[in-house]
Amino acid sequence: MLITKNIKMADVIHMNYFTLSVLNRFGIELGFGDKTVAEVCKIENVDVDFFLEIVNAFVDKDYFPKKQLQTFSVKLITDYLRKTHYDYHQIKVPEIESLIEEMVKACYSEKENLVLLKKFFNDYKQELLNHTNREETVVFPYTIAIEDAFNSKTLDNSVFDLMETYSIAIFQNEHENIEEKLFDLKNIIIKYLPQPKNSENCHKLLYALFSLEQDIIDHSRIEDKVLVPKIREMEKVITKRFGEKK
Amino acid sequence: MSKSTFIICEKSYLIRKGLISIIEKIPDTRIVQQFDSEDEIKNLGNFESDFIIINTNLLNTKTQKILQKISNTSAGGMGFTQIISLSQKSEFKEINWVEYINIDDSQNIILTKLKTLIGNRKTDNPKSEAPDEISKREIDILKNIALGLSNREIADKLFISAHTVVTHRKNITRKLGIKTVPGLTIYAILHKIINIDDTEQIKS
Ligand SMILES: [Fe+2]
Ligand SMILES: [Fe+2]
Repeated sequence: MLITKNIKMADVIHMNYFTLSVLNRFGIELGFGDKTVAEVCKIENVDVDFFLEIVNAFVDKDYFPKKQLQTFSVKLITDYLRKTHYDYHQIKVPEIESLIEEMVKACYSEKENLVLLKKFFNDYKQELLNHTNREETVVFPYTIAIEDAFNSKTLDNSVFDLMETYSIAIFQNEHENIEEKLFDLKNIIIKYLPQPKNSENCHKLLYALFSLEQDIIDHSRIEDKVLVPKIREMEKVITKRFGEKK
Repeated sequence: MSKSTFIICEKSYLIRKGLISIIEKIPDTRIVQQFDSEDEIKNLGNFESDFIIINTNLLNTKTQKILQKISNTSAGGMGFTQIISLSQKSEFKEINWVEYINIDDSQNIILTKLKTLIGNRKTDNPKSEAPDEISKREIDILKNIALGLSNREIADKLFISAHTVVTHRKNITRKLGIKTVPGLTIYAILHKIINIDDTEQIKS
């Protein structure tokens, strides 16, 4: 079901409680009573149209928000992406780590299997960190510089120099599929890991992995399907302007 | 296995629900989205599905262009979205209607129409479904992947072409549901295809 302005915010969570992460990233706190999405966004100073696109894309993987999302500013989009990264590193990843740690502690026989799992996730954590660091230090600043140049009336040569050294096409090529290892980890636990005695922690871990994987898929889709095409268009326009100037 | 997905565009709540209950009788189907007003049809382009069932009374000259475009662009590598009419008349001739469902059609007729369309679509987009058992040869390949060898090195070692190695790798990934080298390594250790010590030797 499509989430619209007039739906109660509480119902959005009832519909899919994974949206709690999205609300959190927008700084929306619980306790909004029967207020609608539009009302809550207004109080929290959130762009309601942007919120709707993000949350709809999040709950429905078949919802392709590219057209509407294209109208929002790069600043708005990258801010959301940054907050998502922060959420991964501060909440979702540590949660998974501590679940694995608990499983290792509680395990007496075949501990080596869990140690293996722990190492796998540790490597993954580092990979994810490198991935998001690269985006935050190189890619996002670049996209914002492009947007500034696109919006400004004057042609600044520094942007031209910047575009000589980097382009969104480079990002498109280097942007790795960061959710694949989570997919593997899930399958290893579901299909192949000799089950530990206390399956409770194992289920919690799977639940957390599903949640992180779904979130990262949604996140990468915004990067690939929204940010990249948007910047590509802007690059074209800027290049054309420089061409006319010469 | 991939499900056949549907979008339903119809004003009447009763007809929508009726149609959905029929579609749900067909295994491996999923309703992606429902639209009940002319205005909402504009958003059709934001969704992907195998089939769109639409009552032409929801169409106008603008939205019919959108629908036309959808029927001409392939969705997610699964071929074109097929458009089914929920009314006998077809004023919108530019749209490539693949089937008409009439309001007085019996449940069996509707089921037959839809199952035929789904069947045709599956044979048009065949997806090889081999048994999931992993072969002896594949275990050999898997062992070497887990030991950290490249495709080229595996090919040389087993006297096969690099292309064959790639094909084996694809099959292994499909059968096990594991895509990455570290993931395959864990599988290999859990199944005693290699020892943990073997992998540590490589890294040091
Ligand atoms: Fe990212
Ligand atoms: Fe990314």
